[in-house]
Amino acid sequence: MQTGIELSGEVRLHVMRQVIETGRVPKAAETALALGKPSDEIRQAHQQLAEAHVFVLEPGGFELRMASPFSAIPTPFEVTIGERRWWGNCIWDAMGIAAVLKTEARISTRCPDCAHPLSLTVDGPAVSGDPGIVHFAVPAAQWWDDIIYT
Amino acid sequence: MLLFRSEEHVETWCRSRSLPIGGTLSLKQASELAWIWFRDRLEASWKRKTIEEAESIFESLELKGDFWKLRR
Repeated sequence: MQTGIELSGEVRLHVMRQVIETGRVPKAAETALALGKPSDEIRQAHQQLAEAHVFVLEPGGFELRMASPFSAIPTPFEVTIGERRWWGNCIWDAMGIAAVLKTEARISTRCPDCAHPLSLTVDGPAVSGDPGIVHFAVPAAQWWDDIIYT
Repeated sequence: MLLFRSEEHVETWCRSRSLPIGGTLSLKQASELAWIWFRDRLEASWKRKTIEEAESIFESLELKGDFWKLRR
C-alpha cells in the first residue's frame, strides 16, 4: 500500500512533468485520472505538499496556485523556449524554470517601478540580457508567512 | 522577488510604498541561486532543502546578514 508521503512524491513529479509538457498546472481531477487515484487522495496530497512548503494552494481551496517554480496563473514573469511558454511566480522562480528545464530560456518582465520591459536569457547558472537588479522585499525568515505576497 | 532596472528604481519603488529596502542580488547571484535551488526538481529523490542547507547556499553566494537568516 502506498503511503501518503509516497503519493505526495508521485503527485509532485506528475504535476511538474505535466506543466513542462503542457504549459499548464493540472487540476486535482486531472491528476487523479492520470494516476488512477481518487480525487480526494490527490487533494490530500496537494494539502501535504502545501504544508511541506513544496507547492502552494489557491487560497481557500485544494487546487494548486504554485507548483514552484511554475505558476498556475499568468504572472509578470513569462518564460519562453521557442514557442513554448510558462509563468514563474517571481523572478527567482522564472530563473528556476530555466534551471528545471536545463535549457536556454528567455525571461520577459517589466520593471515594477517604471514598467520598462526587461528581457533576460538564462542558460544554467549563466544570465545575459538587459541590466537589472533583483529585490527581495521580505526577509527570508518571513517568506512563508504569506508566500503569495512574497 | 522582482526584477528592477537598477538600484535607483528599487529605492523609488520602496519609497512609494513606504517599504524599507529589502535584500538585493545581482543578476549573476540570482541566476546562480536559481540554478542551485531548482536544478534537481525533476529528480524523484528531491527533498526540500533544510534550513541549514538553504542558509549555506545563501552564504556561498555572499547573501549574508539578518535578512537572509531563515531562523527568527
